[in-house]
Amino acid sequence: MTVLELHQVTKSYGSGHKKVDALKETDFQADRGELIAIIGPSGSGKSTFLTIVGGLLSPTSGDVVINGQHLTALNEKERSQIRLREIGFVLQASNLVPFLSVANQLKLLDKVKKGNMTKAERNQLYEDLDIADLLTKYPSDLSGGQRQRVAIAKALYSNPSIILADEPTASLDSERAYEVMDLLKKVTKQKKTTTIVVTHDIRLVDYCDKVYNMTDGVLSAIEKQANLQHISGESR
Amino acid sequence: MFLAWQEIKKNKLRFILITGILMLVSYLVFFLSGLATGLANLNREAVDKWEASAIILTSESDKSLPQSFLTTDQLSDINADKKAVIGQLNAIASNGDQKQNISLFGINKEEFLMPNVVEGRAFEQENEVIADDSLKDKGFNLGDTLTLSSSDQQLTIVGFTDDARFNAAPALYATLSTFHQVKFGEAAEQNNDQINGIVVQDDSISTLTPPNDELESIEIESFIESLPGYTEQKLTLNFMIYFLFGISSIIVAIFLYVLTVQKISMFGVMKAQGISSSYLSWSVVAQTFILSFIGTTIGFVLTLISGTFLPAAVPVSFDLTIMGFYGLILMLVATAGAVFSVLTIVRIDPLKAIGG
Repeated sequence: MTVLELHQVTKSYGSGHKKVDALKETDFQADRGELIAIIGPSGSGKSTFLTIVGGLLSPTSGDVVINGQHLTALNEKERSQIRLREIGFVLQASNLVPFLSVANQLKLLDKVKKGNMTKAERNQLYEDLDIADLLTKYPSDLSGGQRQRVAIAKALYSNPSIILADEPTASLDSERAYEVMDLLKKVTKQKKTTTIVVTHDIRLVDYCDKVYNMTDGVLSAIEKQANLQHISGESR
Repeated sequence: MFLAWQEIKKNKLRFILITGILMLVSYLVFFLSGLATGLANLNREAVDKWEASAIILTSESDKSLPQSFLTTDQLSDINADKKAVIGQLNAIASNGDQKQNISLFGINKEEFLMPNVVEGRAFEQENEVIADDSLKDKGFNLGDTLTLSSSDQQLTIVGFTDDARFNAAPALYATLSTFHQVKFGEAAEQNNDQINGIVVQDDSISTLTPPNDELESIEIESFIESLPGYTEQKLTLNFMIYFLFGISSIIVAIFLYVLTVQKISMFGVMKAQGISSSYLSWSVVAQTFILSFIGTTIGFVLTLISGTFLPAAVPVSFDLTIMGFYGLILMLVATAGAVFSVLTIVRIDPLKAIGG
């Protein structure tokens, strides 16, 4: 089942001879339960793609459809509601609220989302992400890997359709990075979410069902094994 | 409220500092309001005791009771529900040991200006007076014989009344004839119809018109405000209080703005996650209200505690209604200080926060 569609989406900045095409005409489709990697060098348009999909940035042209809702037809408040209900974000530095304990990080979402998760579902989430023992701890008490596990728990809170992960392993060592990708793969399959990981770390693409390369604003699907060596060279 | 309270709990020291400043400002506001009330009472207690609606004085007296000269005949010209004559002079009274500025009121015992007696008895004969009980703190007692400056007349304190100071001087109440004896000495007989004003109790004060242009009907609040120094003193203290309201708002605004700027990235991420600006703004406003409520409440309690240790000579009087009102204003203006932070939150671009 298709969760996310992009039709002829472009994003340009500036005009005339100063015009920069950050994202050229892009068509994209993601189904439920897919873990997708978008790889590419810095400045290639990966983040632009992610922020358009996340409803944080309006495309210059084209249409973004999430579960049948056309994002481009919505105002900021409505897009904010879509983000709250349909999208979970996992960011590079985890971005947990520093003065909230792990339990309260999730309680905040419960309050904002008006509590559509049962206690049993919450406990299951804690167990799935192995954070049950961390509930009373604050972000400053957690390791990088633990922080990302909590960030993923936040992203998964109340079962969003899409998880957008922007360099989720950038601040982690290899072992922790693999742990996080393992976890993202596990929850994507278990909860049938659509997870899009933007990364420049090609070691992570092994975990993904589909891989796309972004170069100079052009998104193209690639065969994982065939072209990884080539992409690796470009990314560096 | 949840986010606001959790942050306060986690960052106690930071918020104790803000609350401490608010507490000190509120302490100062409450203390100044106590001082303003105390000093006002010092001037107006005796007038408030009349429970009058107006006073009739001569037009040329410029609302000054001792400068107004009327006669008792004019009483019948005034059309009011209740009216009472009053003579007044200022003097220095001495009981041999102590000297004190006093305000002597000459009144008719059967009229409503007759004060209540809290100790001793009412005056019955010539040269007997009822004195304001603040004189007791100055070393004056029942039975004391008082000599007055500029008069050979001697007065005896036969009773005390409470809350009866006029223009910062304790009041002495005597019969009109005693007042004439003190004021005119040997010429008292010839001036036995002289008074300074006519005090009126009438619900329809707005329609009270003096019989001729020589007399003026003055509403009692206006009369009090014309007492020498009263309005200037009140305005000065009120100005300080209002200034403190402004200061507290600015202090809170600066503190919160700095805290909000430090959290821009965090708020941006939260907005990217779909948490609305209004939720985050409300959190900051709620946080400010919590801090100002705690600070103001502690300031309120501290003021009352301090008040019990003050010497009687300090003219402080805490009016809980006024203090409550000022406390409320303080909380409101402090909360208004959050407006800059709210504007900052509304303007945060979530895209920048997540590095897009």
